[in-house]
Amino acid sequence: MLGSFAVLRKQSLLGDAISHAALPGIAIAFLITGTKETNVLLIGALVSGLLGAFWIRSITKRTHLKSDTALGLILSIFFGFGMLLLTYIQKLPNANQAGLDKFLFGQAATLLARDVWFMAIVTFICLIVLLLFWKEFKILLFDADYAKTLGFNIQFIDILITSFIVIAIVLGLQTVGVVLMSAMLLAPAAAARQWTNSLGVMVVLAAFFGASSGVIGTAISASQNNLSTGPVIVLVAAVFVGFSFVFSPSRGLLFRQIRFIQNRKDLELHKTLAFMFEIAQDHENISHPHAVKILNNFHGYTRKSLGKLERKEYISVDGSMWSMTPKGYHFAANLYNQQGNENE
Amino acid sequence: MSSAQIEIQLIASIVAIACAIPGTFLVLRKMALISDAISHSILPGLVLGFFITHDLNSPLLIVMAALSGVVTVVLVEFIQKTRLVKEDTAIGLVFPVLFSIGVIMIAKNANDVHLDTDAILLGELAFAPFDRFLVDGADLGPKSLWIIGTILLITIGLLFAFFKELKISTFDAGLATALGFSPIMIHYGLMSVASITIVGSFDAVGAILVVALMIAPAATAYLLTDNLKRMLVLSVIFGVFSAIAGYWLAHWLDASISGSMTTILGIVFLLVYLFAPKRGLISVLYRNRQQQIEVSLLTFLLHLNNHQEISERHINHLNEHINWRRVRSKSVLDLALKNNMITIDKSIISLTDKGKNFTDKAIDYIITNDHSKIESIKEDFFLFRG
Repeated sequence: MLGSFAVLRKQSLLGDAISHAALPGIAIAFLITGTKETNVLLIGALVSGLLGAFWIRSITKRTHLKSDTALGLILSIFFGFGMLLLTYIQKLPNANQAGLDKFLFGQAATLLARDVWFMAIVTFICLIVLLLFWKEFKILLFDADYAKTLGFNIQFIDILITSFIVIAIVLGLQTVGVVLMSAMLLAPAAAARQWTNSLGVMVVLAAFFGASSGVIGTAISASQNNLSTGPVIVLVAAVFVGFSFVFSPSRGLLFRQIRFIQNRKDLELHKTLAFMFEIAQDHENISHPHAVKILNNFHGYTRKSLGKLERKEYISVDGSMWSMTPKGYHFAANLYNQQGNENE
Repeated sequence: MSSAQIEIQLIASIVAIACAIPGTFLVLRKMALISDAISHSILPGLVLGFFITHDLNSPLLIVMAALSGVVTVVLVEFIQKTRLVKEDTAIGLVFPVLFSIGVIMIAKNANDVHLDTDAILLGELAFAPFDRFLVDGADLGPKSLWIIGTILLITIGLLFAFFKELKISTFDAGLATALGFSPIMIHYGLMSVASITIVGSFDAVGAILVVALMIAPAATAYLLTDNLKRMLVLSVIFGVFSAIAGYWLAHWLDASISGSMTTILGIVFLLVYLFAPKRGLISVLYRNRQQQIEVSLLTFLLHLNNHQEISERHINHLNEHINWRRVRSKSVLDLALKNNMITIDKSIISLTDKGKNFTDKAIDYIITNDHSKIESIKEDFFLFRG
């Protein structure tokens, strides 16, 4: 759901970076408290995720480094630091450390009912905030300068969005793990984007895609042994994306190709019609019949196109002769006008 | 230092150099995240290679992995070309999918083999010296040293051979095309080199460290210089320094070598980020602040220039009139006094000749936007530089 914002803000890979950046937070939280209490670790992850996110923002804002470099940098450095801490922890004489790396790869199956409730509550809060600040989010997304002139505190809204993305990521980490989190954030949004141009519809659709890929993925992974849940969910989401890419009515590849072919056919048809118009112009009576033979392939003529023109009642065919109807004459004349206007 | 320690440091340094060179170009071409994507998506290639050979040490594994790296790049470009999503989204979609495929393939078919995701993502440099390269029983040093050394030599060779082409196509793809180089060829060449380097390095140092070694030194160097050659040299230096310092940090903490190398890289970047002379955070903030004060100064001088009445030029009046806080007015006044632009006589401020002159010049500049007029004052004020 929040992924929609990330995708539209061209910050798609933020999710990837933050999910890696959360690792040192988990390790530090464990070092300080010595417990494996999920909530404590989550808070640690949240803090370091936020830290990473804001450092990325500051790097792109204050220096001439580009956002991709900043993302990659923070991602790898935080993760490396987290690894250092984890290996350090492993050497400590504390029997409690095992399972910290579960956070890395995620295990949806090990989730407790309590965790699920916790996630549901957080999701609910996200939803409320999203509805409350809907207008602000939208303006900031599409026209930040306009939002500023209207007197919104863009920095605050910006921080709000980023924080919620981070929260969503950190929560999701437990389920699908570091690597696949970014796909969970992106894939539903990217799929939803293909179906609509409206932000509201897109968010709802993304939530729907996300939820269904979660359900389907879990079902598939449960039905077979030895299939880890996270990767399967991601693959299902990817199938959604692929499907959307190809079959979406307005942007999809398939329909684009169909439209392309259709345009080309229309153009051929117009070419034939224009040629007919030129001939018909030379005669007093526009409906004067002419031989079909004078049309050739070069004018975009085929039997089929002739039939098509007749069906549209632009011409009438009688045996091997054709003649233009007043309707066709009118259309062809306007065709020229239109072209003329466009040329001017 | 034992010979194993020397070898580890040697491997780490060579990996650092081999990564720094393509990394510099990736950063400059704004494709830094491709390295992250490649490092994850080589997994299915590795697994496929393993299925074919059933041998973890076969060179085919490396070839397959490099191939799947290139496949990633091609896929990303393909998705991007459909213009349905932006490039970063394309990257974010492709590599988790490939990675998932890899994970599932391992889980389904190779569960009993030592080929787990941890080992691939994290790597363990400490074991590198134990994997020897034996020819007829003669010990020729660690195997990964040979692999990465060869890759480094090829990279350097390619760098020298195509330096001019790389440079032009990085900074001005249009010009490169006009001159008859194919930017696409160079693009894929670079991608292949990056992909091979990642594959060659990752079994020594792990995927994450490879990404860090590619991006961090180059980004650090980019903060310090604009010159491509200097940037290359600097990033190599940073890489090697972090490699060696990281090793000793790991030695001291008894923790993962790749983790501590990355940490050192991060610290180096943080230091440069804060203190770099021109691009550092502190100098940028200082410059912004200075420019702010100078704008205030100019406003202030213009105000003085416009008003001859004594009442308008009283110190306290200025506070109200221009609506500045006390601290700000004071710093502006101090700056003006220090530059001998005003004199204060019984709380009445007047412009000196120098101040008048400065104001006139500044007005001229603002009106005509002509740089030659302000050459003389550029030296003292940030405001008029660039």
